[in-house]
Amino acid sequence: MVENRPFLTFLAHVVLILGVAFVALPVWIAFVASTHDQSTFLSGSMPMWPGDNIWETYGTILGTGAPVPGAPPLTLMLKNSLVMALIITVGKIAISILSAFAIVYFRFPGRVLIFCLIFVTLMLPVEVRIMPTFKVVADLGMLNSYAGLSIPLIASATATFLFRQFFLTIPEELVEAARIDGAGPMKFFRDMVLPLSQTNIAALFVILFIYGWNQYLWPMLITTDEKFYTVVMGIKRMSDVADSDPQWNFVMGSAMLAMLPPVLVVIFMQRLFVKGLVEQEK
Amino acid sequence: MAGIKLSAVKKIYPGAAEPAVKGVDLDIQDGEFVVLVGPSGCGKSTLLRMIAGLETVSDGEIAIGDKVVNQMEPAERDIAMVFQNYALYPHMSVRQNMSYGLKNRKMPKGEIARRIDEAAAVLEITPYLDRKPRALSGGQRQRVAMGRAIVRDPAAFLFDEPLSNLDAKLRLHMRGEIKQLHQRLKTTSVYVTHDQLEAMTLADRLVVLNHGRIEQVGRPLDLYRRPASTFVAGFLGAPAMNLIDAEVTGGALMLAGAALARGLQAEAGRVTAGIRPEALRLRAAPGGNFRLDYVEELGGSRIVHGHIGAQRIIAQTDLAQELSAEMQAELPLEELHLFHATEGHRLSMGLNQPATADPQLVGA
Repeated sequence: MVENRPFLTFLAHVVLILGVAFVALPVWIAFVASTHDQSTFLSGSMPMWPGDNIWETYGTILGTGAPVPGAPPLTLMLKNSLVMALIITVGKIAISILSAFAIVYFRFPGRVLIFCLIFVTLMLPVEVRIMPTFKVVADLGMLNSYAGLSIPLIASATATFLFRQFFLTIPEELVEAARIDGAGPMKFFRDMVLPLSQTNIAALFVILFIYGWNQYLWPMLITTDEKFYTVVMGIKRMSDVADSDPQWNFVMGSAMLAMLPPVLVVIFMQRLFVKGLVEQEK
Repeated sequence: MAGIKLSAVKKIYPGAAEPAVKGVDLDIQDGEFVVLVGPSGCGKSTLLRMIAGLETVSDGEIAIGDKVVNQMEPAERDIAMVFQNYALYPHMSVRQNMSYGLKNRKMPKGEIARRIDEAAAVLEITPYLDRKPRALSGGQRQRVAMGRAIVRDPAAFLFDEPLSNLDAKLRLHMRGEIKQLHQRLKTTSVYVTHDQLEAMTLADRLVVLNHGRIEQVGRPLDLYRRPASTFVAGFLGAPAMNLIDAEVTGGALMLAGAALARGLQAEAGRVTAGIRPEALRLRAAPGGNFRLDYVEELGGSRIVHGHIGAQRIIAQTDLAQELSAEMQAELPLEELHLFHATEGHRLSMGLNQPATADPQLVGA
């Protein structure tokens, strides 16, 4: 559509700018709050420009941890979050791509039943089965460990389903050509399925990493040891002090840093993802 | 290089009402180019896929060379296949596409490179060796698919409608290339198509299939000149042979109360008469039996649509032919084909019809 209507262009921009402001303003305020000392934020009049406390705030939370609730240093919590999110992401992708491969390319008894079972679990998010899962993890002695943080979240019906749908679009002839070329099942998986799934893997990586990073309820249930706190829990803990005012500058600083890795993942993987989409045949 | 022998090969799909292939016997000689042709659903692709090993054989035996291959994996059968949609690996370059099968056979690198260079030179795809398939046109992809088959140096090539995704002009061109390639490599080839023209032009021997059975096997010209049934008669040739209901009485072929041909030694009764459009002779004559409906110009010749009695008939004539609304149609006796009116098989007319002469190259 090639149209030149100045008013429409203007209107579109106004709407877009409003939308951006709507989303970006809270982030900006959080950033500003993290650069002032605690009293400024509590005085009632919010400054709109960054203050001069920035090094002190970030130095404290990264180095020793916020003093009042006694939270561990943010570096530790960021590391915990990163490890958990990565294990969940990689584990989910590995398990679901293999199970989808089995379901699509192999004829084994009970195949349909198994697929239905996987499909049914789509309707049961972690929160619904959280008590039994907790019981199992506790009995296995996985409380306060990375395994306990990540393994129960790894099984993924959504990713299996997505991979299955993608595999169904790979032409049958390609499979046959590979068979004639002497590729056995696992060779076919490595040489054809994996490279062809690149874009799907990249897209899922973004989605699943953010899913893993943002886990809140599950880490809160199974970690009591500060060594295994994730950053999302840390923020909660800092803002949830009993006897004094929360130190908003520290809370906001932590929130800013907690936002960073998912943003980086999106920016970095998005490129790969779009590149893959453009390179796709047809 | 090897021949392929099919003995009573059957394919029954589970749950299907009738077998897709109902017992096919076929002996393909070493170096022969055999075309399987028939309408969709006749079992030609199934047959090819059974030879390739992509479908299991329900009954009967397939041998490539002197090995029975029924239980062998496709990769062990020493065949190469060219697919209709090319089936190139989209994430690999042309070179990688061609080398993949060889690498899986643990062939030394130098030998792989040599074979690829050779095949690429033959197919004129050397400039594209490092491109991905998506950067190639349809015809180039088709060449790459053939290259992937050639580098394997197999006992047999299997072609599954390899040209149907190309436009008409390119199809004609690639058809010629496949023919030349076969003359050069002399590798046993089995080629599946539903295009009778492709089948006629490429085949050393033509196999016409219908409903999972072989209707007729033979050299293309033999099949064209002496079709064994109305099915083969109607399938080969464009425009298609006229198949009209007629009656034989007293040695004459009667159509709409008039004799179209005389001197037959066939049993009296209802028959289906087969008349090639180019065999029908028309002569402008008021009151003639042929009523002209319309004319299609082909440039080099014209197709005349008309009817005799209530039956539609087409004739192919040269441009010198005078046309008028009413014409007399005549048919040389040797150009007439008679078929059983209900069963459709060929009937003897008591004539010694000349055996087909092979096209001979002068000085060959």
